[in-house]
Amino acid sequence: MLELHVWGPAFSLPSIDAQCLATIAYFTLAVPKDAWVLVASSDPSVSPTNELPAVKNGSTWVSRFGNIVDYLRQYSGGEWDLDADLGELDRADNIAFSSFITARAQPLIDLSLYVTSQNYRYQTSPAYAAILTWPNQWIIPPKLHTAAKARTDHLGLSSLDLEAIEDQRNREHSAAVAAGHIPRNFIQRPRDTVSSLLGKTSQQNQFKVEALTAEIFEPLEEMLTRDNKQKSQGYFLAHDTPSSLDALAVGYLSVALIPDLKHPWLHDAMRSKAPVLTAYITRLRTKCFGDNPITPSLALSPSPNTPTALPWRAPERPSLPKIGTTILNTVADATPIWKDFRTNARIKSMAESKDSGLSEQESKTLSEFAKQSRSDLVLSIATVGAGVIALVGYMMSVGLFARNAEKMEAEEDQEDYEINANQTADFLSGLGV
Amino acid sequence: MPPEGRDGHGSTMPDRAHDIFSVPAPIKRVFDKFPLVILPSNDLPRRSNTSQNGNKLFVFTDRTGAKHGRPSFNPQCLKWQAYLKFVGIDFNIVPSNNHASPTGALPFLTPSLPVGGNTAIPSNKLQKWAIEEVHCEEEQQLNSRFEVYASLLDSRIRNAWLYTLYLDNENFNAVARRLYVDPSTTNSIVRSALSAQLQQAARTELLKQSHYIDADDLIVEAGNAFEALSTLLSDNQYFFGRPKPGLFDAEVFAYTHLILDEKMGWKRNTLGQLLKKHENLVQHRERLLKHF
Repeated sequence: MLELHVWGPAFSLPSIDAQCLATIAYFTLAVPKDAWVLVASSDPSVSPTNELPAVKNGSTWVSRFGNIVDYLRQYSGGEWDLDADLGELDRADNIAFSSFITARAQPLIDLSLYVTSQNYRYQTSPAYAAILTWPNQWIIPPKLHTAAKARTDHLGLSSLDLEAIEDQRNREHSAAVAAGHIPRNFIQRPRDTVSSLLGKTSQQNQFKVEALTAEIFEPLEEMLTRDNKQKSQGYFLAHDTPSSLDALAVGYLSVALIPDLKHPWLHDAMRSKAPVLTAYITRLRTKCFGDNPITPSLALSPSPNTPTALPWRAPERPSLPKIGTTILNTVADATPIWKDFRTNARIKSMAESKDSGLSEQESKTLSEFAKQSRSDLVLSIATVGAGVIALVGYMMSVGLFARNAEKMEAEEDQEDYEINANQTADFLSGLGV
Repeated sequence: MPPEGRDGHGSTMPDRAHDIFSVPAPIKRVFDKFPLVILPSNDLPRRSNTSQNGNKLFVFTDRTGAKHGRPSFNPQCLKWQAYLKFVGIDFNIVPSNNHASPTGALPFLTPSLPVGGNTAIPSNKLQKWAIEEVHCEEEQQLNSRFEVYASLLDSRIRNAWLYTLYLDNENFNAVARRLYVDPSTTNSIVRSALSAQLQQAARTELLKQSHYIDADDLIVEAGNAFEALSTLLSDNQYFFGRPKPGLFDAEVFAYTHLILDEKMGWKRNTLGQLLKKHENLVQHRERLLKHF
């Protein structure tokens, strides 16, 4: 029995994460229903690669969509393989369109669910709260939020992010306050007032969003309508059988199609730019995930009485030691030097484990890398240590600590104090200079 | 007595105040000697007078490479260098680095006939400029697969390239250090800092897309990408069956040439082995190399 571990349900979909949805869709299309179970564990640390989606078979773990597809092919001896019958040209299209969807849809999803402030605050973040357990509720969503912002930074659409605008406004406000104290001639005229800035960026946004969405939806729409026929039953590549591309498309684009967001620009863009694609994704979504909306409670505590389209199994509730480890890990990863030590240890153990799948040379390089960065680390600790010692020495020589010593010793014998204080001062002045 | 005393008093007070603010005599004597010589102002740089008036493309390259118009060793630069050659625009290449660019990234071009003042054209506007100059086609519009297959190059193959060049330590020391780090400075401390920055930048870029860097995965994906590109090219001379090379060919060439180029001095070239499996891509690269 294969266990597929994913992020839990949200927005009536079986998972909140596009790649997890794609993997679930692939399973429903390729694997018989009694051969797998779906676990909404919502915790990447269940898998040794620290990623979801992940498939568990006994002690073997495989993560990421592409690897899972490969693993299913090997595991079933070629039986559970949607791409087995593709011709040469279709195979090339499959690779290219898969890469296209993952590369172009992910930033849009990031923008829609995470960077757009209203959506993140009122919908994405509460959705995570419903599927995560304490303390992950407080740790994971901000992490994902930051990662999504980093991924979409280069698109220059941060003005969808109200927090960023607020920051900007505050800066301008404080500049204005400061301006009150400085003679008028010395201030440069502010380039934009807040309202003009907002007005301008929202128009710029509109153009950018238009361009970005057109870039992804138009080729896909054209692919579906290329033979000029009503593809009511068709799939992307072949007419009668789905491929891994269809699974990937339904995963990523059904997230884009989430209708009831506060600010549903992505949904609107997709509907208006690609009506055929929208109909196709809606149809395939029903085929893969069932008609009924999926709620977190359905996935977290499935009862045998309510039949579901997907083979849910309740995830294990985290035990106390597990919660402790999570907290410890978070604290450790947030502490500067400790964090580096941990990364090194992880790389090293990965390089040295026999079944890591790395060639001998690669593991050699990796462990060399780990060793090298370890010595870097020791060096930086030594530098910091030396700096601290120098600072303390300086403070003592200046007399910050000596005065404390005076106070403490003042209670003791007067003579003792004088001798001691003088000695310390001499000793330290030697050190300090 | 009183007037004398008052006088004496009155004369000493300003003197003291004067003492505090005035420069002590020995130091004043030293400063009186400056400036020792006033030199005439420098001439304008010789280059700006004698340089050719043609279009100038600023790319990563070395001096001899620039003189002979050889391919740049940076895929982004090579892409535009090749594209401008293919559409038939004359230009000279100038060795440069990111700090020289108005956008912070190479390549950029200064046209011989400036459009709207003496502006440099950054790489994302180069195609538009070229279309206005020589009225070539905007190839993205001709085939909807252009963007789709281009995503193979700017995600899959680029990721594998970043890994191979920057994160594979042997390759980094043999190739990237020689090409990017060593020409910029001779100071070994600055060199090691620059190297660390380069590697860190590549690592951050890869970690944006996944939780950890799986080298095998990156290489396998790049191999698949080559396979798809090879199928797309099939027996044609150029991509999309066009009679002459264009932007997509330039984009493919930018990677295939650098991966297959012996002069790069790769220590470990898994990408090259994967690429050599596809005979038509290798020939495509050789065909395009004749333009240089």
